Amino acid sequence: MTLGGSHLDASWFLILSAILFTLGAVGVLVRRNPLVILICIELMLNAVNLTLVTFSRQLGNLEGQLFTLMSITVAAAEAVVGLAILVDIFHTRDVEDVDELSEMKG
Amino acid sequence: MGASQLALLVLLFPAAGAILLAGRGWRLPRIVTQIVGPGVVWASFVCVVALLWGHLNDRCAAPNDICYLSSNYDFTYWTWIQSGTFQVPFNLLVDNLAVFMCLVITGVGGLIVTYSVGYMAHEDGPSYARFFTYMDIFIFSMLLLVLAGNFIFLIVGWALVGLSSYLLIGFWYQRRSAVAAARKAFVMNVIGDAGMILAAFVLFFTYHQTTYVGIFAIATNWCPSAFCDKAFHSDSFPLELAAFLLLVGAVAKSAQIPLHTWLPDAMEGPTPVSALIHAATMVTAGVYLVGRMAPIYDIAVYAHGAVAIVGAVTALFAATIAIVQTDIKRVLAYSTMSQIGYMFLAVGIGAYSAGFFHLLAHAFFKALLFMAAGNVIHAMHDEQDMRKYGGLFRQLPRTGGAFLIGSLALVGVIPLVGFFSKEQILGAAFSKGDPLALGVWVIGAATALITGFYTGRMWWISFAGKPSPERPVEHPHEAPPVMLVPVLILAALSVVGGFIQTRALGIGPSVVSDFLASAVGPLRWEENAGAVVVGLITMILSTLLFFAAYRFYVERTWKTWSANAPWAQRLLERKYYFDEIYDAAVVRPMDAIANWGARDIEGPVLDGAVVGTGNAAVAAARSLSLTQSGYFRNYVLVFVGGAVVAAVLLLLRTA
Repeated sequence: MTLGGSHLDASWFLILSAILFTLGAVGVLVRRNPLVILICIELMLNAVNLTLVTFSRQLGNLEGQLFTLMSITVAAAEAVVGLAILVDIFHTRDVEDVDELSEMKG
Repeated sequence: MGASQLALLVLLFPAAGAILLAGRGWRLPRIVTQIVGPGVVWASFVCVVALLWGHLNDRCAAPNDICYLSSNYDFTYWTWIQSGTFQVPFNLLVDNLAVFMCLVITGVGGLIVTYSVGYMAHEDGPSYARFFTYMDIFIFSMLLLVLAGNFIFLIVGWALVGLSSYLLIGFWYQRRSAVAAARKAFVMNVIGDAGMILAAFVLFFTYHQTTYVGIFAIATNWCPSAFCDKAFHSDSFPLELAAFLLLVGAVAKSAQIPLHTWLPDAMEGPTPVSALIHAATMVTAGVYLVGRMAPIYDIAVYAHGAVAIVGAVTALFAATIAIVQTDIKRVLAYSTMSQIGYMFLAVGIGAYSAGFFHLLAHAFFKALLFMAAGNVIHAMHDEQDMRKYGGLFRQLPRTGGAFLIGSLALVGVIPLVGFFSKEQILGAAFSKGDPLALGVWVIGAATALITGFYTGRMWWISFAGKPSPERPVEHPHEAPPVMLVPVLILAALSVVGGFIQTRALGIGPSVVSDFLASAVGPLRWEENAGAVVVGLITMILSTLLFFAAYRFYVERTWKTWSANAPWAQRLLERKYYFDEIYDAAVVRPMDAIANWGARDIEGPVLDGAVVGTGNAAVAAARSLSLTQSGYFRNYVLVFVGGAVVAAVLLLLRTA
C-alpha cells in the first residue's frame, strides 16, 4: 500500500486498531469511573472506525469510509445520550464507581 | 295473513309476554301481570284457532300418504346455521298434529294460567310477576317443541321445557324440598335430553339432514305407501338406534319407568304448575315425540314395541302405587304417570290417533282434577294430606262436583270423555291381533280396574264421610270465581268432549282421528265387536270398584286389603323402592367416587401438579435471578467473553 509516498502494510493499521480496541475493552471492564468508561467506549468505536477505513483503502472501495462517517455520527449521538444519563445521575448523587449503580440486581 | 305468519305469532305472543314480565313485571302494577300473563296465552290460542280453521277441511290428496312430506306445511323462515353440508334452517312444521298439540297447550294452558291469577294471589309483587314470567316461558317452549320442523329446534324446545319445569318446581325456593325436587327433575330430564341429542346425531350422521321432512322422506323410501309396519330391515339399524334413543328422551320427559321418579316429587311446585306442566302438557311431550316420529317408529319395529311395553308397565305400576298415597297431589301425579302409560301403549302399538285422543281427554280431566285439588288445598290452608279432609262435598259443592266429574272421567264412565278415549286405546289393543298388543291389553285392562279403585279412594276420603278431626279449617270457603270458572269449563269439556269421537262404541264420529290422519296416518285396523263388549265390561267393573272404595275407606265395612298383606302395603308406600335402588346404585357410588376423587386425586395429583408447576417456575426464576447482579461491568464481562468465544469459534471453523 502506498501512503504519502512510503509503503505501509495494512496489517500495521489493523494491529493498531486491535490494540486500541483491546485497551478500550479492558478499560470498560476494569475502570470504575463512569466518565472513563464512556471514553473507553469511544476508544473502541474509533478502533473499529480505523479498521473500516483501512479496508476501504485497501480494497479501493468508498463504502467503508461512508460507513465510518455514519459510525462517527452515531457515536456522537451515543455520547450525548450516555453523558445525559450521567449528568442526570450526578444531579441526585455523586457517583465515583459504576458498581454503586446496581439497584436493578435480581 | 298466511299460515306461516300465524304460526310465528303463536310463538311470539308468549315470548313477548315473558320478556315484558321478566323485565318490567315487578315494577308495574299487579293488574298488568294479571292481564299480560294469561292474555298472551289467549292471544296465542286465537292464532291457533285461526290455524285450525285453515286446517279443518284439509285432507290428504291420497288417503294413505304422509301429507306433510309434500312440504305444504313446512315453513322455513331463515337459515340458522350454514356450515358446509351442515344446514339448520329455522323452520316450523305446522301440520295437523302440531295444530292439535298447540290447541291443547294454549287452550288448557290459557285456562290454567287464568286460574293461577287467583291461586297465586298471596304472592308478593315480584314473585307474582316471576310466576307468570315462568309460565309464559313454559308456554313458549312447549309451543316451540311441537312446532319445530327440525331436530335442532326440537331439542331447543325440549330443553327449554325442562328448564321452565325446573324453575316452576323450585318456584318456592325458600323450601329445601322444592329445590331438591327441582334439581331431581332437571337431572332426570337431562338424561332424556342426552338421548334426544344422540338420536339427532345418529340421524344426521346417517342421512345428513336435520329437518323432519328431509329425514322422513329418506327413511320412508323403504315404505312407498307409508305407514307400513315394516319388519326389521338390515338397513334400518340406524333407525332402530335413533328410535331407542328418542324413546330415552320420551321416557324421561313423560315420567315413564325407569326415569319416572321425578314426577311425584315435582308436586312440590305450585298446583297450577302441576296441572299445566306435570299433567296436561309437558309430560305428554313424549307421546307427541313418538307420534311425530311415526315414520321412524313404523320401520323401527323393536323400538316401537318397547314403547308399548314401557307404557303398559308404567300404567300398571303407577296405578298400584296410587292406591296407597295419602297426599292428594301425589295420587294425581301417579295417576298421571299411569294415564301417560296408556298413551305410550297406544302409540306403541300403532294406534297413534287413539293415543292423541287420550292426550286431549287427559288434558281436560287431569287439569280439572289438579285445579280442583288446588281449590281444596287452598281452602284447607295448604294441607295436602287427604286423610285430614273428609266430608268436604257439603262445604265445597262446586269444587267437589267438578272433582267428581273429573274422577269419573278418569275412571272412564260413560259418557264422560275418559271412557271414549281409554276404551278406544284398549279396544285397539284388543283387536289388533298380535301377541304384543294382546299382552298390553291385559295390562291396560287390569290398570283400568285399579284406576277405578284408587280414584274412588281419593274422592271418597276427601269429600265423603265425616270431617276429619285433624282438619285444619272447620268451615272452608269455596274458591273465588277466577279459580272456579276454569274448573267448571274443564268439567263441561270433560262431559261433552267424548262425543267428538265415539269410536270406542263402534259408532258415531271420530273427529280427532280424522283430523290427525294426515299427520300420523289413518287408523290401521278396525275394532271388532268384541272390543266394544269387553270395553263396556271393563268400564262397568272399574265403576263398581270406584264405589267399592267407599265401603273400604269411608264406611270401613270391608276390611281393607292391606291388613292381609302388610308387605304389599309397605312395597307400594315405598314406591317399589325405586328411589332407594337409585340411591344405592347411582347416588352412593357417585358420592363415593367423588369423595375418593376429592381426597386422593384432587389434593395430591391435581393440586400437586398445579402447585408444583408454580413452585418449579419460582425456583427457576430465583436461580436465574442470581445472574442479574446489577453490576454493569459484570454484564460487560459476560458480553465480551461471549464475543471472544464466538470469535474463537469462527476462527476455528475457517481454519
